[in-house]
Amino acid sequence: MTSRLLLASLALAAALSPATAADPIRIGVPVGLSGANSVVAPSVVQSAELAVEEINAKGGVLGRPLALDVADDGSGAAGAQKAFDALVFQKKVNVLISMETSAARNAGLPIVARGKTPFIYTSFYEGKSCSPYLYVNAWVPEQQVPPIVDHFNKEKKAKSYFLIGSDYAFGRGMLSFTKAYIEKTGGKVVGEEYLPMDGSDWTPIISKLKASGADAIVTSTAGGAPNVTLTKQLRAAGVSLPYGNLAVDEGTAKSMGGDATGIYISASYVTGIDSAANKTFLASMSKKFGADLKTPNDLSVPEYEGVYAYKAAVEKAGGTDPEKVLAALAEVSIEGPRGTIRMDKQRHAPLTMYLGQVQADGSVKVIQSFPNVDPGAQCPPKS
Amino acid sequence: MLTLILDAVTTAALLFIISSGLLIVFGVMKIINFAHAAFVTVGGYAALVGSRLGLPWALVLPLAFVTGAVCGAVTEATIVRWLYQRPLDAILATWGLGIVIGQIITLIFGREVQFVQAPITGTVGLLGVDYSAYRIVMIAAAIMVAVVFTALLSGTRLGLTTRAVIMNEMLAQGLGVDSSRVRLVTFAIGSGLAALSGALITPLSSVDPNMGLPWLISAFMLVMVSGGSLFALAASCIVLGGVQVIVSTFVNPILGGLTIAICAAIVLRIRPEGFARA
Repeated sequence: MTSRLLLASLALAAALSPATAADPIRIGVPVGLSGANSVVAPSVVQSAELAVEEINAKGGVLGRPLALDVADDGSGAAGAQKAFDALVFQKKVNVLISMETSAARNAGLPIVARGKTPFIYTSFYEGKSCSPYLYVNAWVPEQQVPPIVDHFNKEKKAKSYFLIGSDYAFGRGMLSFTKAYIEKTGGKVVGEEYLPMDGSDWTPIISKLKASGADAIVTSTAGGAPNVTLTKQLRAAGVSLPYGNLAVDEGTAKSMGGDATGIYISASYVTGIDSAANKTFLASMSKKFGADLKTPNDLSVPEYEGVYAYKAAVEKAGGTDPEKVLAALAEVSIEGPRGTIRMDKQRHAPLTMYLGQVQADGSVKVIQSFPNVDPGAQCPPKS
Repeated sequence: MLTLILDAVTTAALLFIISSGLLIVFGVMKIINFAHAAFVTVGGYAALVGSRLGLPWALVLPLAFVTGAVCGAVTEATIVRWLYQRPLDAILATWGLGIVIGQIITLIFGREVQFVQAPITGTVGLLGVDYSAYRIVMIAAAIMVAVVFTALLSGTRLGLTTRAVIMNEMLAQGLGVDSSRVRLVTFAIGSGLAALSGALITPLSSVDPNMGLPWLISAFMLVMVSGGSLFALAASCIVLGGVQVIVSTFVNPILGGLTIAICAAIVLRIRPEGFARA
C-alpha cells in the first residue's frame, strides 16, 4: 500500500514539475510491424530514425531533442486502437507521424481527435480523409492514377481495361477512381474483380481477364503476398498485356525477379530521382544502416519528410501547442528527397509523380515525370 | 468453356494435394491436425532454402517432404501422442502448435514475403487454349500423390497394419501390431505430405509465415465431407472445387472463397457421411 502511495506521489510530482528545456519532443510512430504492412514497416522506422538523428545532431527543435516512440498497430483497426491509445494517452506524444493501412488510420483518427494530437499521415491512400488533425504528405488517386492511364491511352492505344484488386478500402477506392478516370478519358472498363485480402488463388479472375479481350490491366491489391501471388499467376498464365500496378514498390518489384519485369508503376518517390537532396539522403541512409538498410521507398521517404515538416511547423509555431502546429503545418514547406513538399491543399500536398517501368534487373526506369500534380479537392470546406 | 474446365480441374488438384496430408492423419488417428497449415508453410520455406542452395526441383521436393516428416514425427512423439483420447484438446494443441511454428519461422526468416522461382514457367497450348503450364503439372502431381498413397496403403506391410489400426485398433494390438509406431509413421507421412504440398504451391504463391492458413479451412472442410477415404476426398475436391470455380467465375470471387465451407456444411447436413460410401 505504502509503495503504491509512493508511486502515485512520485507520478504526481513528475506530472507537476515544469517541462525543462531538455525535455524531448516525442514523436509517435504507430506502424504495422506485424501483419500486412510488416514488409515495408522496417524501412519506415529507419527513415524516422535517420530524420531524428540528423535533427538532434544539429541541436534539436527549439533546443529540445526529438524522441521516437514506435508502436505496432498490427496493420489493422484493432491493433491501431491499442497503439494510438498507448501513444496518445500513456506516452503523451506531441505528434504522430506514420504510414499505416487505411483501416488502421481510420481507427486511430477518433483517438487523435480526443487527444488533440496532430497526425501527419505519410502513406499514399485512397483519399478524402478529412480530420482537422490529419495532414497527408503522400499521394492520393488523383495524383497516382492519371500517369499510368494517360500513358496506356496514348502510347499503348489501350481502349478497354480490366481492373483487379483486393477487397478492402484502398483496393476498392483506388479502382473506383481508376474506373471513373478511364471512362472520363474515353476508355472502357470491361471487368472489375476483387479477391478477399487473404485470398491466394486468382485463377477464375485471370480466366475472365483472358476472355475479356482487355488491352491493359490495372491492379490495386494489398501489398505483399496478394500482390505477389497475383503477379506470379498472371505471368504463369501467359498474360503479357500492359500491366499497371498501383500497389507495388521498388523493393517488392526487385525481389519478385523476372515476374515483375515490364510492370508500370506510378510513384512520388523512386530511388533513381536525380537530385542532390535525394543523393545526400540515400548516402546518409546507407551510412547509418549499412547492410541492414531497407531500400527507401514511396512509403518510407514521406516519413522522413514528415519529421522535417513537423520540425518546421514547431519552429514556426514557436512551440508544440497542437493548434498552432496544425495551423503552421499548412504553411511550411520543406526540401526533401522528393523535392519541395508543402501540405497546403486542404491538408494534402501537390507532388511530383514519376511513371516508371520495372526492368529485367529489377530496377525501375523512370519513363516520364509529372511535376507538381495537384491532389484535387480532397477536403473541400463545407459551404 | 475449356478454360473453365481446366480451372476447375487444376483447382481440384491443388486442393487434393493440400488436403491429402490432413486426410491421412484424420483417417488413422481420428484427430484433426490444425498444425497442418504450419506444416504447409514449413514446406514452402524448405523449398525456399532448397532453391537458395541451388538444388534442382527433383531434390527440393524430397527435402520439403523430409523436413515436414521430421517435424511431424517430433510433434507426434512430444504432443499429439498424449491426446488421442481427447480429440477436442488435440485441436487446441495443434492449433497452438501452428502458431508456435509460425512464430519460429518468423524469427528465423523474418515476416517479409519471399520468392521461389518456378521450375516451369509460361503456358502450354491445349486444344486452342493457352494455359498455365505449372497448373497443368499440378494435375499430374495430384495423380501421383493419389497413386503412391494408394499403393502404400494397399500394397505394403505398413499399409496393411495401418488399415488394421483404422478398422479396429484393439484387435490390431491384440494381433501384435505396434499401433503407436503406426501412428507415429502416419503422422510423419501426413506432415511430410503437407510440407510437400507447401513446396508445390510456392511457384503459384508467395512464401510468408502465414502462407498455409488460407488453405486450412478448405482442406478441413474437404476432409470432413470425405470421412477418411482417399477416393471420397478426390470426389469432393472435384465437386466442391468445381463449384468454387463456377461461383467465382459467374457470381464473384469473394463469394467463391466461401463456397467450399458453405457447400460442405450443406452436404454434411443432408448426408452426414458426406462423400464417403460407408
